[in-house]
Amino acid sequence: MALKTLEQFTAEAQTEIDAKKTANGGDGMFAQVNNVRREFTDAEYDQAVTDLAASKLDKQDNSYKEARQNSYLNWREQLDQLYHDMAADKGDKTGDWFAAIKKIKDDNPKPS
Amino acid sequence: MAGSLVLIDSETVSSGVPSVSLTGVDSTYDVYMVIVSNLQCDTDVEDVKCRVTEGGTANSTTNYDRASKLLRASTSFSDQYAADETSWDMGTNIGTATGESSNFVQYIFNANNSSEYTFMTKEVAELNSTPELVGQQGGGVFTSTSTVDGINFFMDSGNIDSGEFKLYGLKK
Repeated sequence: MALKTLEQFTAEAQTEIDAKKTANGGDGMFAQVNNVRREFTDAEYDQAVTDLAASKLDKQDNSYKEARQNSYLNWREQLDQLYHDMAADKGDKTGDWFAAIKKIKDDNPKPS
Repeated sequence: MAGSLVLIDSETVSSGVPSVSLTGVDSTYDVYMVIVSNLQCDTDVEDVKCRVTEGGTANSTTNYDRASKLLRASTSFSDQYAADETSWDMGTNIGTATGESSNFVQYIFNANNSSEYTFMTKEVAELNSTPELVGQQGGGVFTSTSTVDGINFFMDSGNIDSGEFKLYGLKK
C-alpha cells in the first residue's frame, strides 16, 4: 500500500474532526480548564486537525520501529545468543541470533 | 518540605476530554510542580502530550525538544528523543484495560521568565497497553523566551477519561 502524505492525512483528520463537532451532530471535543468543561474553540479544533494528521503520519512512518524494539531480546540475551552461535560455528546467517533478528524485521517491515 | 508546596490549580477529570489545562503559573514562584495521577484514556495505544500555554492558549509551535530514558519491565531500556516538535511526550502507549494508567511528576523551570527558555523534568510510571510497566525519566525545553502561564495536557487521539491533575508552586 502506498504511503500517504501529510496532506492526505490532514484531509482525513479534517473529516474526522468535523464529524465530532456538535454543530455537525457529533459528540464534540472538550477542554477542561478551571474545572469547567467546554467545547473546543474553532482554533482548538483546527489544532486538533493538525495534531491528528501529524499523529497519523508518525504512526505510518515510525510504528514499525517501536514494534521491532518491543520484540528484540535485551542486549545481554542477544550477546549470549551470539556466543552460543559462535561456539556452534554458526556465527553467520545460520545462527539463532540472525534468524531471530530477521524474523522480527520481516514481521515488522519498514513501510514503503 | 512541609509547607513548601502551594497548590495552585487542581483538575479532576471524570468525563472524557481530549484536553486539560492547568493555569496559574506566574512570577510568584521560580519552580512549579505538576502531579498527574491515574490518567486513563478511552483509546488504546495512544500518547499523552503536553504544551505550555501563553495567555491561556496552548503554544503549538515547533519549539519543543525532549530527551528521556524509557525503563521497561520486560525488556531493555531505550532512549527517546526529538527536537523541534510541537509538544512534549509524557505518557507513551497508554492502554484502556483495567489498571492501565499513566502517573507522572513534572517540574517546570523559568516558565514565567520572559528572558529564559522554559525547562521541565519528568518522571513517569505507567502500565501501558501491553500491559507492561514503563518508567521514564527525562527532560525537555521549550525554546522560546516567552511568558508561560500554564500547561496543557492532551491525548494523541481520543479522550482522557479520568485523572487528577495538580499544579503546585515551590516556595522560594
